[in-house]
Amino acid sequence: MKDILEQVNHNDGMTVPSGYFEDFAVKMTAMLPEQEWEKAESRVMPRSWWQKSRPYIYLAAMFMGVWCMMKMFDLMRPVSIGPALDNNPVITAAISNDYFFNDYIINEGEMHEYELIEDLYETGYTPDTYYDTDDTEYPNV
Amino acid sequence: MADEKQLDDKDLVARLRDPASCRMAFGDLIREYSEPLYRHIRRMVQSHDDANDLLQNTFMKAWQNIENFRGEAKLSTWLYKIASNEALTHLEKERKRAGISLDDEEIHLAELIASDNNVDGDALALKLRQAVASLPEKQRLVFNMRYYDDMKYEKMSEILGTSVGALKASYHLAVKKIETFFEDHD
Repeated sequence: MKDILEQVNHNDGMTVPSGYFEDFAVKMTAMLPEQEWEKAESRVMPRSWWQKSRPYIYLAAMFMGVWCMMKMFDLMRPVSIGPALDNNPVITAAISNDYFFNDYIINEGEMHEYELIEDLYETGYTPDTYYDTDDTEYPNV
Repeated sequence: MADEKQLDDKDLVARLRDPASCRMAFGDLIREYSEPLYRHIRRMVQSHDDANDLLQNTFMKAWQNIENFRGEAKLSTWLYKIASNEALTHLEKERKRAGISLDDEEIHLAELIASDNNVDGDALALKLRQAVASLPEKQRLVFNMRYYDDMKYEKMSEILGTSVGALKASYHLAVKKIETFFEDHD
């Protein structure tokens, strides 16, 4: 059977009168009635659901892409090794130590002791009062 | 080649959408598609005169509905669909007019082939035409599109609204029947 189909080689054996298709195109074009919309300057073609919603879908996809990218970068960020700052026993011990706190933390924080003493002078008190023992009652400033 | 054709179709659709160029573009569409559509129709109805009338009807319907063509389907798919419907409707009308059943249609088509003057004299091609005419209507349509038009099953599926699997099975069965026809008429 394949041989027969190969021999025929897709030829249907049908012919048409000479110049048929050329004549047909001319006659057919001339037969076309005038349409209402041909008179209009511009014709608005009905838009499909996809054509209407395509810009919004693309916009949503773009935002999704940006979100995914941020999420990916977040996951790729290196994780710190060792205990977190809040749970670090060395730091906790250092902060709970008054000497360490006064000598390093406060001074490091640009709060100089002489500024505090100057404030006390301005309000009428002497440094002796300030450096008194722990049970000294400080006045209301 | 297929991509080139698709690009041409896109250009044609764009021109068809513009009222200023629509008529001229439709003229180009007629020139481009009249021969394949004519052959598609004639393989179904056999007579040149009937094929000519049905081709006119096909283009007239396309022109009347061009405003509703959204460009989602391919232009050729849309035109083949109209042409196939025209051919099938004509065959049904002919059966009713002549008072013949679907089974007797084969005899009617064989007579038309025998009296056809527009043939190239290829005896084997003529015999294959007679064998194809003996097939049921839908199977004939499938065989013609696959064998003569060398159409892909996917495109046939879009035109005929049938699954690719069913079309493959139908073509295979059609080839078997044609084989039997050749054995019987040897």
